[in-house]
Amino acid sequence: MSDIDKGLLEIIKGHAIGLTGEPTRETPIADLGIDSFSIVEIIYEVEEKLGVEVPFNANENPLGNMKTVGDLIDAVKKLAGKE
Amino acid sequence: MSRRVVVTGLGGLCATGADVSEFWANAKKGVCGISRRTLTAGEEFSITLPVAPIDGFEARLESLGREMSRADRFTQLAVAAADEAIADAGVDFAGGLGARTAAIIGTGIGGQTTFDTAYLAMLKHGKKPHPLSILKIIPNAPASHLSIRYGLKGPAFAISSACASGAHSIGVAADLIRHGSADAALAGASEALLTYGAMETWKAMHIMSDELCRPFSKNRKGLVIGEGAGVLVLEEYESAKKRGAKIYAEIAGFGMNADGKDMINPSADGAADAMKAALSTVGAADAAAVYINAHGTGTLLNDPTETKAIRAAFGADADKLIVSSTKSMHGHLLGAAGAIEAIATLKAMEGGVVPPTINYDEGDPACDLDYCPNEARARRIDLALSNSFAFGGLNAVLAFKKV
Repeated sequence: MSDIDKGLLEIIKGHAIGLTGEPTRETPIADLGIDSFSIVEIIYEVEEKLGVEVPFNANENPLGNMKTVGDLIDAVKKLAGKE
Repeated sequence: MSRRVVVTGLGGLCATGADVSEFWANAKKGVCGISRRTLTAGEEFSITLPVAPIDGFEARLESLGREMSRADRFTQLAVAAADEAIADAGVDFAGGLGARTAAIIGTGIGGQTTFDTAYLAMLKHGKKPHPLSILKIIPNAPASHLSIRYGLKGPAFAISSACASGAHSIGVAADLIRHGSADAALAGASEALLTYGAMETWKAMHIMSDELCRPFSKNRKGLVIGEGAGVLVLEEYESAKKRGAKIYAEIAGFGMNADGKDMINPSADGAADAMKAALSTVGAADAAAVYINAHGTGTLLNDPTETKAIRAAFGADADKLIVSSTKSMHGHLLGAAGAIEAIATLKAMEGGVVPPTINYDEGDPACDLDYCPNEARARRIDLALSNSFAFGGLNAVLAFKKV
Protein backbone atom coordinates (compact mmCIF):
# COMPACT_ATOMS: atom_id res chain seq x y z
CA MET A 1 0.00 0.00 0.00
CA SER A 2 1.37 3.41 -0.97
CA ASP A 3 1.97 6.20 1.55
CA ILE A 4 -0.97 8.15 0.22
CA ASP A 5 -3.23 5.10 0.58
CA LYS A 6 -2.05 4.68 4.16
CA GLY A 7 -2.65 8.37 4.87
CA LEU A 8 -6.17 8.20 3.42
CA LEU A 9 -6.96 5.05 5.35
CA GLU A 10 -5.85 6.73 8.57
CA ILE A 11 -8.12 9.74 7.90
CA ILE A 12 -11.10 7.47 7.11
CA LYS A 13 -10.43 5.50 10.27
CA GLY A 14 -10.68 8.70 12.32
CA HIS A 15 -14.26 9.19 11.13
CA ALA A 16 -15.34 5.54 11.26
CA ILE A 17 -17.07 5.63 14.63
CA GLY A 18 -19.07 2.50 13.84
CA LEU A 19 -16.05 0.36 13.05
CA THR A 20 -14.50 -2.18 15.38
CA GLY A 21 -11.02 -3.19 14.34
CA GLU A 22 -8.84 -1.86 11.52
CA PRO A 23 -10.31 -0.76 8.19
CA THR A 24 -8.85 -2.26 5.02
CA ARG A 25 -9.52 -1.61 1.34
CA GLU A 26 -12.10 -4.38 1.46
CA THR A 27 -14.10 -2.97 4.40
CA PRO A 28 -17.65 -2.10 3.30
CA ILE A 29 -18.40 1.64 3.66
CA ALA A 30 -21.67 0.66 5.29
CA ASP A 31 -19.69 -0.75 8.21
CA LEU A 32 -17.91 2.53 8.95
CA GLY A 33 -20.81 4.21 10.72
CA ILE A 34 -20.31 7.43 8.77
CA ASP A 35 -23.01 9.71 7.39
CA SER A 36 -23.22 11.81 4.24
CA PHE A 37 -21.46 14.75 5.82
CA SER A 38 -18.56 12.57 6.96
CA ILE A 39 -17.46 12.38 3.30
CA VAL A 40 -17.21 16.17 3.20
CA GLU A 41 -15.27 16.15 6.46
CA ILE A 42 -12.95 13.41 5.20
CA ILE A 43 -12.21 15.36 2.02
CA TYR A 44 -11.52 18.51 4.06
CA GLU A 45 -9.06 16.56 6.20
CA VAL A 46 -7.41 15.10 3.12
CA GLU A 47 -6.88 18.62 1.80
CA GLU A 48 -5.50 19.82 5.14
CA LYS A 49 -3.19 16.89 5.84
CA LEU A 50 -1.98 16.05 2.36
CA GLY A 51 -1.85 19.64 1.12
CA VAL A 52 -3.92 18.89 -1.99
CA GLU A 53 -6.97 20.47 -3.54
CA VAL A 54 -9.94 18.13 -3.94
CA PRO A 55 -12.37 19.88 -6.29
CA PHE A 56 -15.85 18.46 -6.03
CA ASN A 57 -19.46 19.49 -5.83
CA ALA A 58 -21.56 17.51 -3.39
CA ASN A 59 -24.59 18.11 -5.65
CA GLU A 60 -22.99 16.01 -8.39
CA ASN A 61 -22.56 12.94 -6.19
CA PRO A 62 -18.90 12.89 -7.26
CA LEU A 63 -18.05 9.78 -5.29
CA GLY A 64 -20.60 7.69 -7.18
CA ASN A 65 -21.74 4.31 -6.00
CA MET A 66 -18.90 3.32 -3.74
CA LYS A 67 -19.12 0.08 -1.82
CA THR A 68 -15.79 -0.36 -0.10
CA VAL A 69 -13.13 1.72 1.59
CA GLY A 70 -10.93 0.96 -1.43
CA ASP A 71 -13.51 2.58 -3.70
CA LEU A 72 -13.51 5.66 -1.46
CA ILE A 73 -9.71 5.89 -1.40
CA ASP A 74 -9.53 5.57 -5.20
CA ALA A 75 -12.24 8.19 -5.70
CA VAL A 76 -10.53 10.71 -3.40
CA LYS A 77 -7.18 10.05 -5.10
CA LYS A 78 -8.74 10.62 -8.48
CA LEU A 79 -10.33 13.89 -7.38
CA ALA A 80 -7.06 15.01 -5.82
CA GLY A 81 -5.15 14.14 -8.99
CA LYS A 82 -2.98 11.63 -7.12
CA GLU A 83 -4.16 8.58 -9.00
CA MET B 1 -57.38 29.35 23.04
CA SER B 2 -55.65 30.54 26.21
CA ARG B 3 -54.06 27.91 28.37
CA ARG B 4 -51.88 28.14 31.47
CA VAL B 5 -48.17 27.42 31.09
CA VAL B 6 -45.87 26.12 33.81
CA VAL B 7 -42.16 25.47 34.22
CA THR B 8 -41.38 21.85 35.05
CA GLY B 9 -37.66 21.50 34.41
CA LEU B 10 -34.49 23.58 34.72
CA GLY B 11 -31.05 23.17 33.23
CA GLY B 12 -28.22 25.65 33.08
CA LEU B 13 -24.53 26.32 33.35
CA CYS B 14 -22.34 29.36 33.63
CA ALA B 15 -19.17 30.51 35.40
CA THR B 16 -20.67 29.85 38.83
CA GLY B 17 -22.08 26.39 38.21
CA ALA B 18 -21.77 23.37 35.93
CA ASP B 19 -25.43 22.61 36.63
CA VAL B 20 -28.41 24.23 38.33
CA SER B 21 -27.69 22.75 41.72
CA GLU B 22 -24.12 24.09 41.83
CA PHE B 23 -25.24 27.40 40.31
CA TRP B 24 -27.90 27.89 42.95
CA ALA B 25 -25.69 26.83 45.89
CA ASN B 26 -23.12 29.41 44.76
CA ALA B 27 -25.78 32.07 44.15
CA LYS B 28 -26.99 31.77 47.74
CA LYS B 29 -23.40 32.07 48.96
CA GLY B 30 -22.68 35.07 46.75
CA VAL B 31 -19.83 33.38 44.89
CA CYS B 32 -18.27 35.57 42.19
CA GLY B 33 -17.39 33.84 38.90
CA ILE B 34 -15.43 36.76 37.47
CA SER B 35 -11.68 36.59 36.92
CA ARG B 36 -9.09 38.24 34.72
CA ARG B 37 -8.25 36.08 31.70
CA THR B 38 -6.18 36.30 28.56
CA LEU B 39 -7.97 35.25 25.36
CA THR B 40 -5.87 34.58 22.28
CA ALA B 41 -6.22 34.11 18.53
CA GLY B 42 -3.24 32.57 16.85
CA GLU B 43 0.09 33.58 18.31
CA GLU B 44 0.06 37.34 17.92
CA PHE B 45 -3.40 38.41 19.07
CA SER B 46 -4.44 38.53 22.71
CA ILE B 47 -6.66 40.47 25.08
CA THR B 48 -6.67 40.42 28.87
CA LEU B 49 -9.82 41.44 30.70
CA PRO B 50 -12.22 40.39 33.45
CA VAL B 51 -14.72 37.79 32.21
CA ALA B 52 -16.91 35.05 33.67
CA PRO B 53 -15.92 31.87 31.82
CA ILE B 54 -17.00 28.26 32.26
CA ASP B 55 -13.90 26.26 33.13
CA GLY B 56 -13.55 22.56 32.37
CA PHE B 57 -16.48 22.20 29.98
CA GLU B 58 -14.29 20.48 27.37
CA ALA B 59 -14.03 17.44 29.65
CA ARG B 60 -17.82 16.96 29.37
CA LEU B 61 -17.93 17.09 25.58
CA GLU B 62 -17.50 13.41 24.89
CA SER B 63 -20.43 12.55 27.15
CA LEU B 64 -22.67 14.81 25.03
CA GLY B 65 -22.27 12.53 22.01
CA ARG B 66 -20.64 12.64 18.61
CA GLU B 67 -22.92 15.26 17.06
CA MET B 68 -21.67 17.80 19.57
CA SER B 69 -18.17 17.48 18.12
CA ARG B 70 -19.73 19.03 15.02
CA ALA B 71 -21.24 21.95 16.93
CA ASP B 72 -20.02 25.33 18.15
CA ARG B 73 -19.55 25.91 21.86
CA PHE B 74 -22.82 27.85 22.14
CA THR B 75 -24.73 24.80 20.88
CA GLN B 76 -22.78 22.46 23.15
CA LEU B 77 -23.70 24.61 26.16
CA ALA B 78 -27.37 24.70 25.12
CA VAL B 79 -27.49 20.92 24.72
CA ALA B 80 -25.87 20.37 28.13
CA ALA B 81 -28.48 22.70 29.66
CA ALA B 82 -31.36 21.02 27.80
CA ASP B 83 -30.26 17.50 28.80
CA GLU B 84 -30.31 18.61 32.43
CA ALA B 85 -33.68 20.36 32.14
CA ILE B 86 -35.31 17.33 30.50
CA ALA B 87 -33.94 14.98 33.18
CA ASP B 88 -35.13 17.40 35.86
CA ALA B 89 -38.64 17.52 34.38
CA GLY B 90 -38.79 13.76 33.95
CA VAL B 91 -40.70 14.41 30.76
CA ASP B 92 -41.00 11.73 28.08
CA PHE B 93 -41.25 12.97 24.50
CA ALA B 94 -42.24 9.56 23.16
CA GLY B 95 -45.91 8.75 22.70
CA GLY B 96 -46.87 11.86 20.79
CA LEU B 97 -45.59 14.70 22.98
CA GLY B 98 -42.44 15.14 20.86
CA ALA B 99 -44.59 15.99 17.84
CA ARG B 100 -46.17 18.79 19.86
CA THR B 101 -43.02 20.11 21.55
CA ALA B 102 -41.31 23.35 20.52
CA ALA B 103 -37.60 24.17 20.73
CA ILE B 104 -37.10 27.92 21.04
CA ILE B 105 -33.46 28.64 21.87
CA GLY B 106 -32.17 32.17 21.50
CA THR B 107 -28.72 33.64 21.17
CA GLY B 108 -27.33 37.13 20.78
CA ILE B 109 -24.72 36.21 18.17
CA GLY B 110 -24.38 32.46 17.51
CA GLY B 111 -21.25 30.48 16.69
CA GLN B 112 -18.61 33.07 17.49
CA THR B 113 -15.83 30.56 18.18
CA THR B 114 -16.35 29.03 14.75
CA PHE B 115 -16.46 32.48 13.14
CA ASP B 116 -13.17 33.45 14.74
CA THR B 117 -11.50 30.16 13.84
CA ALA B 118 -12.68 30.26 10.23
CA TYR B 119 -11.63 33.86 9.64
CA LEU B 120 -8.25 33.38 11.29
CA ALA B 121 -7.64 30.35 9.06
CA MET B 122 -8.71 32.21 5.91
CA LEU B 123 -7.22 35.64 6.45
CA LYS B 124 -4.03 34.76 8.27
CA HIS B 125 -3.14 31.35 6.89
CA GLY B 126 -4.91 31.41 3.53
CA LYS B 127 -6.65 28.17 4.44
CA LYS B 128 -10.18 26.99 3.84
CA PRO B 129 -12.72 27.08 6.67
CA HIS B 130 -14.05 23.77 7.98
CA PRO B 131 -16.92 22.51 5.77
CA LEU B 132 -19.31 22.47 8.72
CA SER B 133 -18.59 26.09 9.69
CA ILE B 134 -21.95 27.44 8.53
CA LEU B 135 -23.87 24.71 10.34
CA LYS B 136 -21.94 25.57 13.48
CA ILE B 137 -22.39 29.35 13.17
CA ILE B 138 -26.11 29.68 12.41
CA PRO B 139 -28.05 31.00 15.42
CA ASN B 140 -30.69 28.26 15.08
CA ALA B 141 -28.11 25.49 15.56
CA PRO B 142 -29.13 24.78 19.20
CA ALA B 143 -32.84 24.65 18.35
CA SER B 144 -32.13 22.33 15.40
CA HIS B 145 -29.79 20.04 17.31
CA LEU B 146 -32.30 19.74 20.16
CA SER B 147 -35.16 18.96 17.80
CA ILE B 148 -33.04 16.18 16.24
CA ARG B 149 -31.65 14.93 19.56
CA TYR B 150 -35.08 14.54 21.16
CA GLY B 151 -37.32 14.05 18.13
CA LEU B 152 -39.14 17.33 18.71
CA LYS B 153 -41.29 18.28 15.75
CA GLY B 154 -43.14 21.34 16.98
CA PRO B 155 -42.13 24.93 16.15
CA ALA B 156 -38.34 25.36 16.37
CA PHE B 157 -36.32 28.51 15.83
CA ALA B 158 -33.93 30.97 17.40
CA ILE B 159 -34.84 34.36 18.72
CA SER B 160 -32.15 37.01 18.57
CA SER B 161 -32.73 40.22 20.49
CA ALA B 162 -29.29 40.81 22.00
CA CYS B 163 -29.52 40.74 25.80
CA ALA B 164 -33.25 40.00 25.76
CA SER B 165 -32.94 36.85 23.59
CA GLY B 166 -33.38 34.46 26.53
CA ALA B 167 -36.43 36.20 28.00
CA HIS B 168 -38.00 36.59 24.55
CA SER B 169 -37.45 32.88 23.85
CA ILE B 170 -39.08 31.76 27.09
CA GLY B 171 -41.95 34.22 26.72
CA VAL B 172 -42.64 33.39 23.09
CA ALA B 173 -42.43 29.64 23.80
CA ALA B 174 -44.95 30.10 26.60
CA ASP B 175 -47.23 31.98 24.19
CA LEU B 176 -46.95 29.11 21.66
CA ILE B 177 -48.25 26.73 24.33
CA ARG B 178 -50.81 29.22 25.63
CA HIS B 179 -52.34 29.61 22.18
CA GLY B 180 -52.18 25.95 21.16
CA SER B 181 -49.28 25.84 18.69
CA ALA B 182 -47.47 23.41 21.01
CA ASP B 183 -48.13 21.46 24.20
CA ALA B 184 -44.61 21.66 25.62
CA ALA B 185 -41.37 23.47 24.86
CA LEU B 186 -37.67 23.59 25.47
CA ALA B 187 -37.11 27.30 25.91
CA GLY B 188 -34.01 29.27 26.72
CA ALA B 189 -30.84 30.66 25.25
CA SER B 190 -27.13 30.18 24.93
CA GLU B 191 -24.10 32.40 24.41
CA ALA B 192 -20.38 31.68 24.12
CA LEU B 193 -18.59 34.84 23.09
CA LEU B 194 -15.41 34.65 25.11
CA THR B 195 -13.13 34.82 22.10
CA TYR B 196 -10.44 37.31 21.21
CA GLY B 197 -12.44 38.77 18.32
CA ALA B 198 -15.69 39.19 20.21
CA MET B 199 -14.04 40.72 23.26
CA GLU B 200 -12.08 43.28 21.22
CA THR B 201 -15.37 44.22 19.57
CA TRP B 202 -17.15 44.61 22.90
CA LYS B 203 -14.23 46.53 24.36
CA ALA B 204 -14.51 49.00 21.50
CA MET B 205 -17.84 50.17 22.95
CA HIS B 206 -16.11 51.39 26.15
CA ILE B 207 -18.79 50.04 28.48
CA MET B 208 -16.87 47.12 29.96
CA SER B 209 -15.71 47.06 33.55
CA ASP B 210 -11.97 46.69 34.09
CA GLU B 211 -12.59 44.98 37.42
CA LEU B 212 -15.76 43.47 38.95
CA CYS B 213 -19.42 43.94 38.06
CA ARG B 214 -21.15 46.13 40.68
CA PRO B 215 -24.82 46.59 39.72
CA PHE B 216 -26.67 49.52 41.33
CA SER B 217 -23.53 50.48 43.24
CA LYS B 218 -22.14 54.02 43.07
CA ASN B 219 -18.74 52.77 41.95
CA ARG B 220 -20.01 50.55 39.17
CA LYS B 221 -17.64 50.42 36.23
CA GLY B 222 -19.68 48.63 33.60
CA LEU B 223 -20.47 45.13 32.54
CA VAL B 224 -18.44 41.94 32.65
CA ILE B 225 -19.20 39.37 29.98
CA GLY B 226 -19.91 35.78 30.90
CA GLU B 227 -20.89 32.68 28.96
CA GLY B 228 -23.41 29.94 29.47
CA ALA B 229 -26.85 28.60 28.70
CA GLY B 230 -30.17 28.11 30.38
CA VAL B 231 -33.04 25.92 29.22
CA LEU B 232 -36.49 25.53 30.78
CA VAL B 233 -39.02 22.79 30.13
CA LEU B 234 -42.41 24.42 29.71
CA GLU B 235 -45.66 22.48 29.72
CA GLU B 236 -49.33 23.16 29.46
CA TYR B 237 -50.57 23.28 33.06
CA GLU B 238 -53.35 20.66 32.97
CA SER B 239 -51.21 18.01 31.29
CA ALA B 240 -48.28 18.74 33.60
CA LYS B 241 -50.57 18.37 36.60
CA LYS B 242 -52.03 15.15 35.17
CA ARG B 243 -48.63 13.49 34.85
CA GLY B 244 -47.71 14.59 38.37
CA ALA B 245 -44.87 16.86 37.25
CA LYS B 246 -42.98 19.01 39.74
CA ILE B 247 -44.10 22.56 38.98
CA TYR B 248 -41.68 25.38 39.71
CA ALA B 249 -44.06 28.18 38.81
CA GLU B 250 -46.53 29.42 36.26
CA ILE B 251 -45.44 31.84 33.56
CA ALA B 252 -48.25 34.16 34.54
CA GLY B 253 -47.18 37.15 32.52
CA PHE B 254 -44.95 38.21 29.66
CA GLY B 255 -44.38 41.78 28.59
CA MET B 256 -42.42 42.69 25.49
CA ASN B 257 -42.05 45.93 23.61
CA ALA B 258 -39.55 48.28 22.01
CA ASP B 259 -38.40 51.69 23.22
CA GLY B 260 -38.44 52.98 19.66
CA LYS B 261 -35.86 55.60 20.60
CA ASP B 262 -32.19 54.73 20.64
CA MET B 263 -29.75 51.88 19.94
CA ILE B 264 -27.80 52.37 23.18
CA ASN B 265 -29.60 54.61 25.67
CA PRO B 266 -32.35 52.69 27.48
CA SER B 267 -35.75 54.22 28.12
CA ALA B 268 -37.36 54.03 31.57
CA ASP B 269 -40.77 54.35 29.92
CA GLY B 270 -40.20 51.35 27.65
CA ALA B 271 -38.90 49.19 30.50
CA ALA B 272 -41.77 50.27 32.77
CA ASP B 273 -44.35 49.51 30.08
CA ALA B 274 -42.88 46.02 29.58
CA MET B 275 -43.09 45.35 33.33
CA LYS B 276 -46.65 46.67 33.45
CA ALA B 277 -47.60 44.41 30.55
CA ALA B 278 -46.11 41.39 32.34
CA LEU B 279 -47.99 42.31 35.52
CA SER B 280 -51.29 42.91 33.74
CA THR B 281 -52.19 39.20 33.71
CA VAL B 282 -50.90 38.07 37.11
CA GLY B 283 -53.55 39.42 39.49
CA ALA B 284 -52.92 40.81 42.96
CA ALA B 285 -49.78 40.04 44.92
CA ASP B 286 -48.40 41.14 48.28
CA ALA B 287 -45.58 43.57 47.39
CA ALA B 288 -43.54 42.24 50.31
CA ALA B 289 -43.51 38.86 48.53
CA VAL B 290 -42.38 40.21 45.15
CA TYR B 291 -38.84 39.65 43.85
CA ILE B 292 -37.37 41.25 40.74
CA ASN B 293 -34.32 39.67 39.14
CA ALA B 294 -33.09 42.86 37.54
CA HIS B 295 -31.40 43.32 34.21
CA GLY B 296 -28.84 45.13 36.43
CA THR B 297 -25.85 45.22 34.10
CA GLY B 298 -23.71 47.51 36.25
CA THR B 299 -23.45 50.13 33.51
CA LEU B 300 -23.81 53.83 34.18
CA LEU B 301 -27.06 54.03 32.20
CA ASN B 302 -28.93 50.79 32.85
CA ASP B 303 -29.09 50.77 36.62
CA PRO B 304 -30.73 54.16 37.36
CA THR B 305 -33.01 53.75 34.32
CA GLU B 306 -34.17 50.33 35.54
CA THR B 307 -34.65 51.73 39.05
CA LYS B 308 -36.83 54.50 37.64
CA ALA B 309 -38.78 51.96 35.58
CA ILE B 310 -39.43 49.73 38.61
CA ARG B 311 -40.73 52.76 40.50
CA ALA B 312 -42.97 53.68 37.57
CA ALA B 313 -44.36 50.15 37.30
CA PHE B 314 -44.90 49.50 41.02
CA GLY B 315 -45.50 52.97 42.48
CA ALA B 316 -45.32 53.02 46.29
CA ASP B 317 -44.94 49.21 46.36
CA ALA B 318 -41.44 49.63 44.88
CA ASP B 319 -40.15 50.28 48.40
CA LYS B 320 -41.61 47.01 49.71
CA LEU B 321 -40.34 44.61 47.06
CA ILE B 322 -36.82 43.28 46.71
CA VAL B 323 -34.52 43.48 43.69
CA SER B 324 -31.20 41.85 42.88
CA SER B 325 -28.83 41.44 39.97
CA THR B 326 -27.21 38.03 39.77
CA LYS B 327 -25.04 39.37 36.92
CA SER B 328 -22.75 40.52 39.75
CA MET B 329 -21.89 36.82 40.16
CA HIS B 330 -22.21 35.11 36.75
CA GLY B 331 -21.49 38.12 34.58
CA HIS B 332 -23.61 39.22 31.64
CA LEU B 333 -24.49 36.19 29.56
CA LEU B 334 -25.82 38.54 26.84
CA GLY B 335 -28.27 36.49 24.77
CA ALA B 336 -28.42 33.83 27.49
CA ALA B 337 -28.83 36.31 30.35
CA GLY B 338 -32.61 36.06 30.48
CA ALA B 339 -32.40 32.26 30.50
CA ILE B 340 -29.91 31.80 33.35
CA GLU B 341 -31.62 34.60 35.27
CA ALA B 342 -35.03 32.97 34.86
CA ILE B 343 -33.47 29.93 36.53
CA ALA B 344 -32.10 32.07 39.38
CA THR B 345 -35.56 33.62 39.73
CA LEU B 346 -37.34 30.26 39.86
CA LYS B 347 -34.85 28.78 42.34
CA ALA B 348 -35.32 31.89 44.51
CA MET B 349 -39.08 31.31 44.50
CA GLU B 350 -38.69 27.62 45.22
CA GLY B 351 -36.37 28.07 48.17
CA GLY B 352 -37.66 31.38 49.51
CA VAL B 353 -34.19 32.91 49.25
CA VAL B 354 -33.25 36.06 47.35
CA PRO B 355 -29.81 35.77 45.72
CA PRO B 356 -27.66 38.82 46.48
CA THR B 357 -26.27 41.62 44.37
CA ILE B 358 -22.62 41.10 45.24
CA ASN B 359 -19.72 43.55 44.90
CA TYR B 360 -22.08 46.26 46.14
CA ASP B 361 -19.98 48.91 47.87
CA GLU B 362 -21.53 52.35 48.09
CA GLY B 363 -25.12 53.45 47.49
CA ASP B 364 -26.01 55.59 44.49
CA PRO B 365 -28.79 58.14 45.11
CA ALA B 366 -30.11 57.37 41.61
CA CYS B 367 -30.43 53.68 42.56
CA ASP B 368 -32.54 53.74 45.70
CA LEU B 369 -34.33 50.38 45.96
CA ASP B 370 -33.55 47.36 48.12
CA TYR B 371 -31.02 45.46 45.97
CA CYS B 372 -30.30 42.69 48.51
CA PRO B 373 -26.66 43.83 48.73
CA ASN B 374 -23.90 41.26 49.21
CA GLU B 375 -25.82 38.64 51.21
CA ALA B 376 -28.72 36.38 50.32
CA ARG B 377 -31.92 36.94 52.24
CA ALA B 378 -34.70 34.56 53.26
CA ARG B 379 -37.99 35.82 51.87
CA ARG B 380 -41.29 34.31 50.82
CA ILE B 381 -41.69 34.97 47.10
CA ASP B 382 -45.15 34.63 45.54
CA LEU B 383 -44.47 36.62 42.40
CA ALA B 384 -41.18 37.24 40.62
CA LEU B 385 -40.18 39.23 37.57
CA SER B 386 -37.12 38.62 35.43
CA ASN B 387 -36.17 41.76 33.52
CA SER B 388 -34.22 41.84 30.25
CA PHE B 389 -33.51 45.04 28.34
CA ALA B 390 -31.47 44.77 25.16
CA PHE B 391 -29.32 47.05 23.06
CA GLY B 392 -31.53 48.46 20.38
CA GLY B 393 -34.23 49.20 22.95
CA LEU B 394 -35.88 45.78 23.05
CA ASN B 395 -37.53 44.83 26.34
CA ALA B 396 -38.78 41.47 27.61
CA VAL B 397 -40.11 40.82 31.11
CA LEU B 398 -41.22 37.44 32.45
CA ALA B 399 -43.58 37.15 35.42
CA PHE B 400 -43.50 33.89 37.40
CA LYS B 401 -46.16 33.08 39.95
CA LYS B 402 -46.45 30.21 42.40
CA VAL B 403 -49.12 27.72 41.41
